[in-house]
Amino acid sequence: MSTAVPGGLRDARVHLETAFGNFEVDRRDLVRFPAGLPGFELCRQFVVIAAPEVAPFQCLCSVGGAPGSFLTVDPRLVYPGYAYELTEADRTRLGATADAALLWLAIVTLTGSGEAWANLRAPIVINPDRMVGYQVISPDHDYPVRHALVEA
Amino acid sequence: MLVVTRKRDEAIIIGHDIEVRVLRVGRDGVRLGVVAPAEVPVYRTEIYDLVVRENRAAIASPSTRRFVDRIRRPASPRR
Repeated sequence: MSTAVPGGLRDARVHLETAFGNFEVDRRDLVRFPAGLPGFELCRQFVVIAAPEVAPFQCLCSVGGAPGSFLTVDPRLVYPGYAYELTEADRTRLGATADAALLWLAIVTLTGSGEAWANLRAPIVINPDRMVGYQVISPDHDYPVRHALVEA
Repeated sequence: MLVVTRKRDEAIIIGHDIEVRVLRVGRDGVRLGVVAPAEVPVYRTEIYDLVVRENRAAIASPSTRRFVDRIRRPASPRR
């Protein structure tokens, strides 16, 4: 009478091995990136790992497909007054209404020589209501691609 | 590569729903108008390529890991 599949419960969990360590995440936490990221077009699913140990940073990790993980930070945190206007195309793709609460992530680059910067020109925007995300590139803004991060 | 000659106010259609029209031809540049479906973003190539390069440079590496380890605060002790 039971239709339970062996391991069915465990299937809800995804084991991730990333540059930031190994994690278990819930399938419901996966965010679709229908376009991937520029340069990583095959990475169509990511999970955002916001562990308190790495706050205020997050780890954006590709799940399945090509491997790829990135360190991110909320651009509004590192650039006071950051006000990025989404284009109509991006709003449509995100399924975002005018008052939708969106998650903003700027990709952080760390160099071998210890420099760190955040890409404020092309932020990643996630609509949590739909669990869908895109890296957006607005023609209307010229926020820096390399905004230097200083350690607090 | 498809090469077509277009004059001012002439256009091409890509697929069924993307139109690229020549609005003005100047000595230093050509002004284009793009009409595309709402969900199709249009980028300047050099900006898109810049983002590709930045993304590739940002992929987590041993230095990212070291940085995370350095900022990682000790988790509260569990009993």
